[in-house]
Amino acid sequence: MEYDYSKLGLSTAELFSYQDHSDLDSEKITAPRYSYWRSVFRVFFQKKLNIFVLALLAFVILFAYLYPAFTEYDRFGQLANAEAKHLGPLAALSHFGFSIKYILGTGASGNATFDAIWNGAQISISLACICAAINMTVGVVVGAIWGFSKKVDTVMMVVYNIVGNVPTVLLIAVLVLIFRPSFWSMVLALTITGWIFIAYFIRTQVIIIRDREYNLASRCLGTGTVKIAMKNILPFMTSVIVTQLATELPSYISMEVFLAYIGIGLPEMSLGRLIYASESAMVTPGWGFEFWSPVAISSIITVVLYVVGLNLGDASDPRTHM
Amino acid sequence: MLKYLIKRVLYGIGAICVVVAIVMVMIYSMLDRSQVFAGDAVYPKTASNARVVYCNTKWEEYGYLDYVSYQEYVQQLARSGEIDEATASAAAVLGRKPEDDSAETAELTARFEEEYRSKGYQVQRLNADVNKRGKLKNGGQQAMFAVKDRPLTSRLWEYFTGLIDVDNIHYVEEDIGERGITFTLRDPLAEGKFSPAIMGNGTRHKYLLYFDSKFPFIHQNIATICLGQSYTVNTGVDVFDTMTRSQGSYVLRPTTYPTGHAENSADDLHSATYQAGSRESSQIYADRFTDDYTVTTTVRAGLSKMGYSFSIGIIATILAYLLGMPIGVAMALKKDKLLDKIGNVYIVFIIAVPSLAYIFLFKAIGGSVFHLPTTFDIESPSKLIYILPIISLALPQIASLMKWLRRYMIDQMNSDYVKFARSNGLTEGEIFSKHILKNAAIPIVHGIPGTILYAMTGAIITERVYVVPGAGNLLTEAIAKYDNGVIVGVTLFYAVLSVVSIILGDLLMAAVDPRISFTSKGR
Repeated sequence: MEYDYSKLGLSTAELFSYQDHSDLDSEKITAPRYSYWRSVFRVFFQKKLNIFVLALLAFVILFAYLYPAFTEYDRFGQLANAEAKHLGPLAALSHFGFSIKYILGTGASGNATFDAIWNGAQISISLACICAAINMTVGVVVGAIWGFSKKVDTVMMVVYNIVGNVPTVLLIAVLVLIFRPSFWSMVLALTITGWIFIAYFIRTQVIIIRDREYNLASRCLGTGTVKIAMKNILPFMTSVIVTQLATELPSYISMEVFLAYIGIGLPEMSLGRLIYASESAMVTPGWGFEFWSPVAISSIITVVLYVVGLNLGDASDPRTHM
Repeated sequence: MLKYLIKRVLYGIGAICVVVAIVMVMIYSMLDRSQVFAGDAVYPKTASNARVVYCNTKWEEYGYLDYVSYQEYVQQLARSGEIDEATASAAAVLGRKPEDDSAETAELTARFEEEYRSKGYQVQRLNADVNKRGKLKNGGQQAMFAVKDRPLTSRLWEYFTGLIDVDNIHYVEEDIGERGITFTLRDPLAEGKFSPAIMGNGTRHKYLLYFDSKFPFIHQNIATICLGQSYTVNTGVDVFDTMTRSQGSYVLRPTTYPTGHAENSADDLHSATYQAGSRESSQIYADRFTDDYTVTTTVRAGLSKMGYSFSIGIIATILAYLLGMPIGVAMALKKDKLLDKIGNVYIVFIIAVPSLAYIFLFKAIGGSVFHLPTTFDIESPSKLIYILPIISLALPQIASLMKWLRRYMIDQMNSDYVKFARSNGLTEGEIFSKHILKNAAIPIVHGIPGTILYAMTGAIITERVYVVPGAGNLLTEAIAKYDNGVIVGVTLFYAVLSVVSIILGDLLMAAVDPRISFTSKGR
């Protein structure tokens, strides 16, 4: 494009000056310094909603772990006290005197609902985190290999078609029955095949990116497979993995609630067991708090986890950093 | 294309076989088999040797093992003529201890032991359980038997070969007169009107092919699907029948039985099957039937388990597509506007919140605010009861349709061909309806056969919460009651549905999108 330099009112000598050629200078990149993770957090904290949700998440998790650690919760402590059962918040507060324990009333065995839901939340969050950690690690590693190697792909597709068709409920029920219901048998049941669905998802993503032109060029220039995987593909996958984690974490809490409801849940009073045990309280007038409290807290935890994960996934996509 | 399809179907069948094999290993080998007696009424009453024998006969019935008692073996020898009746009756009596055996018994027990050991059986002899005064304790009767765990291969083979049972005229073992199949133009049950039917004698079913007034008007009993016998959930009935048989109260109508006896009854005489000696054992049958085809199913007012699940599921699916597609499109068009934001909040709510929580929430709101019935009642003529289950099922489907359609639409909007179309002077409306929507709908189309087929399996939570008598709870109920037959049957049913729905989805996608081809030649 032609510019009319005379309009600027400067002489040619002022506009242009002669520059010596330097090999070293021509290699320098004068773009602003770019740090991936700093950009991720910059984008993430730009939204005010994210700060609020993250604070809420931190509060819920800290409370779920610290509150039961510092208070004593005896589920059957009031079992003999007939007057203490199924109290609404106001009745419980007037019966026991003001205490944070009783602001949500009492449950079927006179236990404080507030204590029960935080103990349950601790178990449910632990279960979700452990299962997600195992499944995501195995799933991402296997999925990456699965996507890269065509030989592995043919074998794994057969395995996937078979494992995917075994009813999950049956598998979990059988495993829980074999190993006796406990926290760790539930972890085993949820992770023994859970990773394959994540691996399949990652495999599809890897295949999409694997054959892009820039990877082809990189391979032509002699980059090794491991380096392509780590430097070319992994950065692309970060946002996908984080987004996947955002759906995985709450899904284990939901799954636990679902399993407890159909009667193959944990022996501990997790959130799912609480909901299952107090189902009859839903329709009984005045008992509503003991049912809706665990439902509400599990919904809050899952929604907060999901929103944080989803927005973190958005923020970790380099295309949003511009 | 056909070759590809056959290959896919074969792969699918292979996968189904392996799935069934895995499930069989899980439930027959890995689970503690004494669990089957958890809800058994007879088990606690048995003791000592009788309990061991009872356990083994039950396990044989449930398909765990092959069990042969010594007495059966002696009878079989007598029947084949190897030993005469007198020796058989003498040899059948076991001594309290092996030392007490008579000469015939000692000889035959040794032979029994040797023969079944060589076949891989474990032979056990239980000595009489006597108290101090030499009297038999309760259930202390001496016993001898051989047991062998059924190997997986033979179990699988028998299961798959028995899947489709074709009726034949040699089904009845007893003497039943002239065996054969007759064709009649006037069905005896149609009261002399024109109604062709094929009837059999010697077959399991009396009516092999007949017409009646019920959809689909022509019915057959020649080939029946046997997914597996139920033991505890619906004792003695096949899983497929459990899912498809109507429920609810009996529909009484004037019925004329073959003997001429007329009364109001719910019996469906077309379904008559053979039961040996039934007229001799029961006066009721003798009064009504002229032959031993006496076992009938009953006509009931309600739908079947699958019928309820499917009618609720299919309406919810249609509702979801009718609502979810336009809302998803609107969200993509008004990206980052108010509608999009509200829609996203809804999607987050449905995906993140445990389904149990929002189903309960809608049950509570529907019951208290809108005064809708919240528990299913088969007898109730009101259709209002369907509303809440349908809404509960449709909500997550709407959310996922909205989410994906919005995603696909936005992806398409940013693609090069849309910019090209715009630069060619096409109006936004044209670009939208002719290019973007068509391309974005392709992945959605892939899921349609799956959602329709899976409507048959029912939804576990929705059906539990609203007490719908559907098929969704069959698997969990079978697991809770250790009903291995039902577990295997339901697994097979689910696996077939999943394989079929993926193949149908691929075919539908190829039909909608001409670019997709499953043959390598096309490229």
